Amino acid sequence: MSSNVYQVIVVGAGHAGVEACLAPARLGLKTLLVTTNLDRIAYMSCNPSVGGLAKGHMVRELDVLGGQMGLAADETCIQYKRLNSSRGPAVRGTRVQNDKHRYSQYMTSTLMNQENLSVLQGEVKRLILENDLCVGVVLDDGSEVRASAVIITTGTFMNGVMHIGLKQEAGGRVGDKASVGLSDQLAQFGFEVKRLKTGTPPRLLKDSIDWAKTIPQAGDEKVFPFSYRSSSILKLPQVLCYLTRTTEETHDIIRRNLDKSPMFCGIIEGTGPRYCPSIEDKITRFADKVSHQTFLEPEGLDTDLIYLQGISTSLPEEVQYEFLKTIPGLENVKIVRPGYAVEYDYIEPTQIWHRLETRTIRSLFLAGQINGTSGYEEAAIQGFIAGVNAAHSILERPEFILGRDDAYMGVLIDDLVTKGTREPYRMFTSRAEHRLVLREDNTIDRLGQLATKVGIVSSESLELLADLQSKRSVLHEKLRTTRLYPTKETQELLAKIPTPDMTKSLTFEELLRRPEVSCSHLESLGFVVDSDPNIHEPVEIEVKYSGYVKRQIELIKQSKRLEDLLLPETLLYSEVRGLSNEEQDKLQRVRPRTLGQAQRISGVNPSAIQAIMIHLKGHKKVRELSLEGQ
Amino acid sequence: MVHADRDKDTICAVSTPHGVGGISVIRISGPLAFSISRATCSFLPERPESHRVYFGYFRDTQTGDEIDEVLVTYFKQGKSFTGEEVLEVSCHGSPLICQSILNQFIGLGARSADRGEFTYRAFMNGKLDLIQAESVLSLIESQSQQAAKLALRQLKGSVSEKLEAVENDMTWILAHAEASIDFSTEGIEVVADSAVISRLQSIERTLFDLVGTFKVGRILKDGFRIVLTGLPNVGKSSLLNLFLEDERAIVTDIPGTTRDVIHGDTNFDGMKFTFVDTAGLRDKTTDLVERIGIQKSYEAQNESDVVFFIYDLEKGLSPEEVQILDSLDPSRTYIVGNKVDKKGAPGTLEAAFLPLKDSKFFQNTKDRTTFFTRRMFFVSALDKMVRSEILKSLVSEFADLEIENTVLISNSRHFENLSRALENTQRSQSLVTGGLGAEFLALELKEALIAIHETLGKRFDDQIMDRVFKEFCIGK
Repeated sequence: MSSNVYQVIVVGAGHAGVEACLAPARLGLKTLLVTTNLDRIAYMSCNPSVGGLAKGHMVRELDVLGGQMGLAADETCIQYKRLNSSRGPAVRGTRVQNDKHRYSQYMTSTLMNQENLSVLQGEVKRLILENDLCVGVVLDDGSEVRASAVIITTGTFMNGVMHIGLKQEAGGRVGDKASVGLSDQLAQFGFEVKRLKTGTPPRLLKDSIDWAKTIPQAGDEKVFPFSYRSSSILKLPQVLCYLTRTTEETHDIIRRNLDKSPMFCGIIEGTGPRYCPSIEDKITRFADKVSHQTFLEPEGLDTDLIYLQGISTSLPEEVQYEFLKTIPGLENVKIVRPGYAVEYDYIEPTQIWHRLETRTIRSLFLAGQINGTSGYEEAAIQGFIAGVNAAHSILERPEFILGRDDAYMGVLIDDLVTKGTREPYRMFTSRAEHRLVLREDNTIDRLGQLATKVGIVSSESLELLADLQSKRSVLHEKLRTTRLYPTKETQELLAKIPTPDMTKSLTFEELLRRPEVSCSHLESLGFVVDSDPNIHEPVEIEVKYSGYVKRQIELIKQSKRLEDLLLPETLLYSEVRGLSNEEQDKLQRVRPRTLGQAQRISGVNPSAIQAIMIHLKGHKKVRELSLEGQ
Repeated sequence: MVHADRDKDTICAVSTPHGVGGISVIRISGPLAFSISRATCSFLPERPESHRVYFGYFRDTQTGDEIDEVLVTYFKQGKSFTGEEVLEVSCHGSPLICQSILNQFIGLGARSADRGEFTYRAFMNGKLDLIQAESVLSLIESQSQQAAKLALRQLKGSVSEKLEAVENDMTWILAHAEASIDFSTEGIEVVADSAVISRLQSIERTLFDLVGTFKVGRILKDGFRIVLTGLPNVGKSSLLNLFLEDERAIVTDIPGTTRDVIHGDTNFDGMKFTFVDTAGLRDKTTDLVERIGIQKSYEAQNESDVVFFIYDLEKGLSPEEVQILDSLDPSRTYIVGNKVDKKGAPGTLEAAFLPLKDSKFFQNTKDRTTFFTRRMFFVSALDKMVRSEILKSLVSEFADLEIENTVLISNSRHFENLSRALENTQRSQSLVTGGLGAEFLALELKEALIAIHETLGKRFDDQIMDRVFKEFCIGK
């Protein structure tokens, strides 16, 4: 038995695991990453892409705070897109296609070059527990490794079972075995362990596709990288994706074979993601739809594999062949790897604190799919938060928690620990009630200060952040204070934009508020704007939408009153009069940090919040009133 | 002091107004309500029926003496006003008897209820929503039949029902707006703008109608507020006394006798009217006290529903009076020519109106014929019929709704909230037609929903709760 002493151990090297081990290592703590397969670090097990609506926001937030995902995605980008670009600024989202092998290689070499970090191939069988404190792990060879904190990021691997048709096989991903033992131990300790399901589409051979029957989809010309540290000139050559659609024949074949789908004949018990349904789900739930779109996405520059976005399935391979051949372009398709479903264990996330430490075992942190989420981005931000908090607890620093008004990252974790989840949790812009101020463009302004507090970002990067922030505020100040006067020349220039004449002098900020006027127009009026879109775009948005932004901030202020009311961790809800049994149970289980969080627990009514408040105030108000009345 | 268990106490209070009356009702609520009551009312059976009245003697537990002959109504847990076990003791209406009964209860382990505590418990136990809790307050405080009816209707939840329908519609639109943002890349069909607009229009109609009922709702709840104004010595105080059927204002022949604002309430046709008599309006007065009085007159006018401008028919309208009229809002002004019994009063309305022909007041009067027939009165303060004639006309003009069937709001908090929600709904429509993003529509609707939820008490807001429960009195 060895007795290597690390400060932090991270179990699993997926998208959560890499962030979870980098954060403490960068904070100077001796960190060990244990993975069952060294060749699959930060592997894109499903789609070869990063970002998307609301997910792109999180990648940027993570980047400002010092995470790695944004840099890796920029570095290995082979197609760049800003989604919802025709809509308002708050709901635009960046998504990139990636070369999945280069992505994994990039992350692997980042880990290998990271000071204080060791990487070990092996399987963690058990945790070493001393009463309610986690002090290390036991590996499959029987050796013990001790540490002050353990972070579990096992993804779909805990008791993972793969389904193709009615065949089943243990494993968390094709080619990789499941990890067995850990979740049983957690269940023994009293954790509520449940099952979820996810799926992945078939991978197709590039040369077997008739591309002429598909519609090419190019990326954007103008690139706003995820990371402020990346160059806006992309390193890799850019590729096309291709659009095609299912046909009525496709749907007929699938419908005829539903009895061979493990989802539909009751073999799979886990709940799948409603938001990322399999093709079997889609044609059953949207029975009146005669066609579904699908994108053919290259998995990289040097690979022949094509990912069939939107067609995840667990039907038998021969059925997959049969229905794929009815899709235009795929008449002669060769499947390299059929689609399959994975069932896995997750820990009901109301059993962890906001800092992602479990409530029942101290120094044990959970991040990623084990908490019931879906998606690389959702996993990565949890890995980061768990890594930072594990480090902070060892360094005796205060816990690091983001508010719902700070970042999507804060929304995600608050939702998980407050409401729990019954299906794989994916981030949406609609989950953020303060959406209009949580934009991609103002990430730096929102989180720049916090990045300094976390202490992971290098001093050069912090300078870069400060520089960007100050250039933005200088530009905004200039817009506010420089005036334009209604001379004849000015009116002529305005007519060219075209925008109505001025009746009196205006500041450039007031002019920019006109919907038809943009920053680029100001140049012709003699106002010099910083040409870097990373500087002028956020300022322009802030000016144009200031009315709405102000109202959003007003709503935040209102909710702050309850968010600032901290609830004691020791509060006994059974003693609060006026709560239903259901409310008592839920509150006792979640043990909300603040009255605001208590209000978000589903099934807890406003009257319960009143009851808690009165309980806490020791009936001060009622006492005062009774004195008054007597 | 431990207060955590305060809400588990059994509480009691006299629920009828203080003072001597025919009967008084004492309410006791909480887990010990029945056992405490049975100790003093031995006639109660071991297992009483809910909502049944029992008759017998209320006795002192120490001495065994009869305190009073009482009727006791039993309400079982879950079926009472508070949601707890409740008993109501009807005794003879003497403060002394009430106090003895309360002393017995308290001696047996109950405590005096705090202000609003019964209603508070009803709210806590989910028996009332916030609007209903407020209606209890209105019902208790209603000073007229109409106000009581209105409160009772709100207690039954008519406003809540309407607002819940609005809430459903808003949530529907919000769901579609959100889906159009978050699933824009997944090729799902988004609902047409026209469908959103038509829902918004239906929400707007409901809110607009509700907000519009506030004027009448408030009048029904709080009564009409009528200010009498005019030059000194035109007989305002005599008319006030006529309306109040009372000798409240000092009536003299000396101009400027009324220096203060005099209030008086009267009930007519099930509705409350508050009359405010003001100092006569004289610009050139040198008397400081009188000047302050005049200042107060203007303030009173602004706070009123209706202004009665009174002048002396015998003297006719003077230029000074025309000037005063010009400053009034014709839509809520009545012109009352007084002293019709005196010689020299003009025979026709038209003649009386001649001096007004070129005035601003007259120009601003929308429908002059209606004004002549409904807002002009020639009266004599000696004629007792004047009161009912004028008050009837007021009711028919300002409170003429099918109030039996209309859902009305009468609370200023609801009015403010719903007005905000209405603005949000109107802006939402222009956002959709203007093609601005769904995320802005979502913000408008979320703000509107907050206003609706606040009205319904579905959203916790400490400030509102304080406001509502502070207004309750002990025993309610």
